[in-house]
Amino acid sequence: MQLLDIRNLTLELQTPDGAIRAVDRVNLTLKEGEVRGLVGESGSGKSLIAKAIMGVLHERWRITADRFHWCGEDLLRLPYQKQRQIISRDIAMIYQEPSRSMDPTAPIGEQLAESIPDHLLQGVSWWQRSYFRRKKAEALLHKVGIRDHKAVLSSYPYQLSEGVCQKISIAMAIAKDPKLLIADEPTTALESTTQSQLFRMLASFNQLRGMSVLLISHELETVARNTDTLSVLYCGQLVEAGETKDVLQSPRHHYTDALVRSVPEFQPDLGFKQPLYALPGSIPTLQHLPIGCRLGPRCPNARKECVKTPVPERQQNHHYSCHFPLQQRGSDE
Amino acid sequence: MSKLLEVKALSKSYQKASGLFKSEKIQALQDISFSLNAGETLAILGENGSGKSTLAKLLVGIEQPDSGEIFYAGQPLNCQDYGKTNHLIRYIFQDPARSLNPNQKISEILHAVLTYSTVLTFEQREQKISQILRQLGLLKEHGNYYPHMFSGGQLQRVALARALILDPKILILDEALTAIDPSLRAQIVNVLLELQQDTGIAFLLITNQLRLVQHVADQTLILHRGQITDYGTTTTIFSAPEHDYSRRLINSAQWN
Repeated sequence: MQLLDIRNLTLELQTPDGAIRAVDRVNLTLKEGEVRGLVGESGSGKSLIAKAIMGVLHERWRITADRFHWCGEDLLRLPYQKQRQIISRDIAMIYQEPSRSMDPTAPIGEQLAESIPDHLLQGVSWWQRSYFRRKKAEALLHKVGIRDHKAVLSSYPYQLSEGVCQKISIAMAIAKDPKLLIADEPTTALESTTQSQLFRMLASFNQLRGMSVLLISHELETVARNTDTLSVLYCGQLVEAGETKDVLQSPRHHYTDALVRSVPEFQPDLGFKQPLYALPGSIPTLQHLPIGCRLGPRCPNARKECVKTPVPERQQNHHYSCHFPLQQRGSDE
Repeated sequence: MSKLLEVKALSKSYQKASGLFKSEKIQALQDISFSLNAGETLAILGENGSGKSTLAKLLVGIEQPDSGEIFYAGQPLNCQDYGKTNHLIRYIFQDPARSLNPNQKISEILHAVLTYSTVLTFEQREQKISQILRQLGLLKEHGNYYPHMFSGGQLQRVALARALILDPKILILDEALTAIDPSLRAQIVNVLLELQQDTGIAFLLITNQLRLVQHVADQTLILHRGQITDYGTTTTIFSAPEHDYSRRLINSAQWN
């Protein structure tokens, strides 16, 4: 079943110099039990989309979408209270930099107990509730692989390492058994052994509970290993989406192609110390976005038509928006 | 060929207060020895708190070692003697946006480096600055910009310019490539590789990205809790790591 179905999501910020369109007509769909990756450079609007789904964007942002369906209900057209209710029941998010997104003045035990929803404690007599809450918090910690629950529950966020904090924020997220978990750059602060632990954990929750995961990252190699489907963003435009394997093996958009070729992981026959493939130029700032296809000035194959925004095209499950897509490998070479 | 940099039995420990009168000793580095040739890259791998950054700080003289010696081209080197050593060993920080003074123009930042460490006249300095900016793919006009006017990848180039303007023989990159976006990271890696080919500069790369290490590093050193667990050429370490911890670290790249 389609869990999340977003069509033409546009996020605009009103400024004295006119509206800035940070996210430009992005489509995003997520099935139940799917792990989708969202890749893009910093400033490409990945986190904004995540926040828009969570409904925690600042009120200065103007959110418009043709369709913003969650399990068949249009979230944008619901009254605020109802919207909050649905989101807090079904969606959970892990934020960047876990130690900074927790309350520094409260011990972990309190914060974790707070995140356990009341309906899980229904049927428990009121004098036993706090005991059950504590038990539940302990169980959650065990689930995310923290054995020493006593020490962790009584300590404050600053006393714990970043990896442990990340595990705790996952524990908070899965406390309510969400249908969708949004992980916003969960591994930037972690070293590689902890990273692999974390991905194994997300994969096991995905398989055991059928929890969908939206994995946001700027590192293509980690996303490639851990997702079924992939969406690639550039400067707020969706450039390519499809099954991860398909997108990486035969990218149709020049940006995806450059991204794949610039990562040594995907280039097995790259010689030692050979130069990597890199697009010229740098990412435009939000104030000076090029018109049309936003990759235009950096694209190796840009032509006159590229000043118009390309229409998303589709080949089976592979979506891309480019006027001059790359030929599929195999048929051409 | 003689070794460019040789480090012998370097140790460093910190005192940390625990309780009112007691103090605890934390061994950050223990008995570290390695060497680096000109034109080569040494990668240092290890988890957080394994002493990677402490090692870098000892080499640039921010910290003083407890024991052990550092040799540069056969001569013992006192890294705290900045006047002598900062020509030779330069350091790039993790976050370029926070390591550049937001109040100064790029040219002012670069002028400051040259006035402290060289005896060049103003014209010579100007010439040197425009030359280094061009070498790193920036324009001379960028000298009049302030750091906030650059994007992340360009800022990293400015940080590189600040490090390279004294023509160092060794450059230490402390997680300098981690925070950059992928398409810009490839650009910076290319700049570094080209530089190494042209000038024979040696890099000390501190990072967590194993595949990048495999691509650019001649030698690899794995640190665990302040001790060397593996040290050798990159190919041998990645094909046959000796120590348990190294094996886990290298396998994690393949399976996560």
